[in-house]
Amino acid sequence: MSMLTRAEVEDFLYHEAALLDEWKTMEWAELFTEDGEYLVPPMELPNADKNEALFIINDDHHRLVQRAKRLTRRTAHVEFPHSKVRHAIHNVRILEQDESSLSVATNQVVYRAKRQNLDTFVCHVVYRLARTTDGLRIRSKRVMLDIDGLRPHGMISAIL
Amino acid sequence: MNKPRDAGLSDTHFIRIDPERCEFLVPRWAFTDQAVLDKERAEIFSRCWLYVGHASEIPKPGDFVVRKVGGRQLFLWRGEDDQPRVYFNTCTHRGAIVCRERQGNAKRLTCPYHGWTYDTRGGMVEQPGASGFPDDFFANGAKDLKSPAKVDSYRDFVFVNFDPEAVDLKTYLAGAAEYLDVVADQGEHGMEVTPGEQAYSMRANWKLLYENSADGYHAITAHASYFDYLRATVGVFREDFNPHEVGGGGKSLGNGHAVIEYQAPWGRPVAQWVPQWGESGKEEVGRVKAELASRLGEQRADRIANWNRNILIFPNLIINDIMGLTIRTFQPINPGYLEVTAWSLAPRGEHQEMRAWRQYNFNEFLGPAGFATPDDVEMLELCQQAYQNMPEVGWNDISKGMNRPDNNQGDDEVQMRSFWIRWDELMGAARHEKV
Repeated sequence: MSMLTRAEVEDFLYHEAALLDEWKTMEWAELFTEDGEYLVPPMELPNADKNEALFIINDDHHRLVQRAKRLTRRTAHVEFPHSKVRHAIHNVRILEQDESSLSVATNQVVYRAKRQNLDTFVCHVVYRLARTTDGLRIRSKRVMLDIDGLRPHGMISAIL
Repeated sequence: MNKPRDAGLSDTHFIRIDPERCEFLVPRWAFTDQAVLDKERAEIFSRCWLYVGHASEIPKPGDFVVRKVGGRQLFLWRGEDDQPRVYFNTCTHRGAIVCRERQGNAKRLTCPYHGWTYDTRGGMVEQPGASGFPDDFFANGAKDLKSPAKVDSYRDFVFVNFDPEAVDLKTYLAGAAEYLDVVADQGEHGMEVTPGEQAYSMRANWKLLYENSADGYHAITAHASYFDYLRATVGVFREDFNPHEVGGGGKSLGNGHAVIEYQAPWGRPVAQWVPQWGESGKEEVGRVKAELASRLGEQRADRIANWNRNILIFPNLIINDIMGLTIRTFQPINPGYLEVTAWSLAPRGEHQEMRAWRQYNFNEFLGPAGFATPDDVEMLELCQQAYQNMPEVGWNDISKGMNRPDNNQGDDEVQMRSFWIRWDELMGAARHEKV
């Protein structure tokens, strides 16, 4: 397999962002490998170990699928009706890659609007991607927040 | 101002209790009125014991953490003599913040504005341009860092009180002290706050979060999607758990403190095993349980291991001893906005497998991106927004369970009534009736 270009990686990330912006959360979950994980470490400890520190999100594959499913239900009250969400992705850098996997760093800004409030999440997102016969898949998505507390956001209810 | 004309701040009862009808009403303007918050700052946040931090957060001499507490800027600093102390985070000269990092270690702190320097006992030890002051200007602690009127700790939970006339901490805690013991006793070698702080907020009045934190009544509707998640997850329930017999219930602990205690359906790192944790988890939970029993006796070990506790310490400390162990405190910023800070508490030296499950469990239900807390935030914000329907719709109802005063169930509202009676008392109303 030839090495992937940044444009090919960007296409994949833009696809992921589009699914999230359209609330196609189950399709988003399908982008993950069977051992995939979705993590948001504590803001002051972006490199922390999920088994020791208190994370904000610490989803293994089972839980990220359930998170995606929950967000399709009316009983996920916080996102019913769904807020407006928009992901903007910048500064995509392929940190390393080989035939089977790559690691990618990005800057992302996620906007969430609901009930006349607009919350902005400034993120440094690092992906570990797997190259499979079905195309790229996410083995790990680690969202490191460059904000000093979820204030005034209050929470992370949509998927970053 | 959107409140009933008969509701004065000083000479009218805030709450309405009708024992005949078993009805308990709270005025909604108590959640929206700036004058109420101003009075709360004076009568509650300046007179009650307020949680600052846990001694384990500053393990070594010189360690500090900064905190906002009761509208003040404080920091907790462990002295070189190993004493934890609390200071107002303000230079005695012109007032700048002295401790600018969120946490760290320092033997001295220097105000960045003019260079006045303090040691870990708060003493003023150096200032540039000393010749401009008389020799004895700094003598006798005249310009030392200032501390709250009272600082004390109970089982490593450090509190302050801004009122020099306040009762001592143990007296203040009343029946809640015993619940702090249940929490603190879980660690063979003491307890520690784990790294990682959850700082979030709610566009809602602070009292709504106090009520919500031990509200068993909302679980089935507000957290329906969480129960769907549990049903879809294999092995998270205790095998012999009978949801119709959770036992326990809510009770008032005095001084506005309250608790609900009930049997835990889920895994507790201390110390109830569920199949999700596998055989190695079973072995470790067994070891923890045996240690508890040998140290505290079978009965207390069972209570610690198999029961949940949502502990409310008036006015703004919540300890949820559920699938994990949380410390959560919150500060009103304005009538419609509060800031929350939460930590995970764990036994010191806990086995790494149990620590990993503890943190995983915490994230499952709790925290600003858990499967439950965001829905709680939403509910509180829905309440806050709808309080704009005043004066036409002016009262909240928290009567559930008043018709069975000796047999409170976990989904009754006795813990809220206990809060409001104390709140009413402190806010200056004369009326005080049994819940």
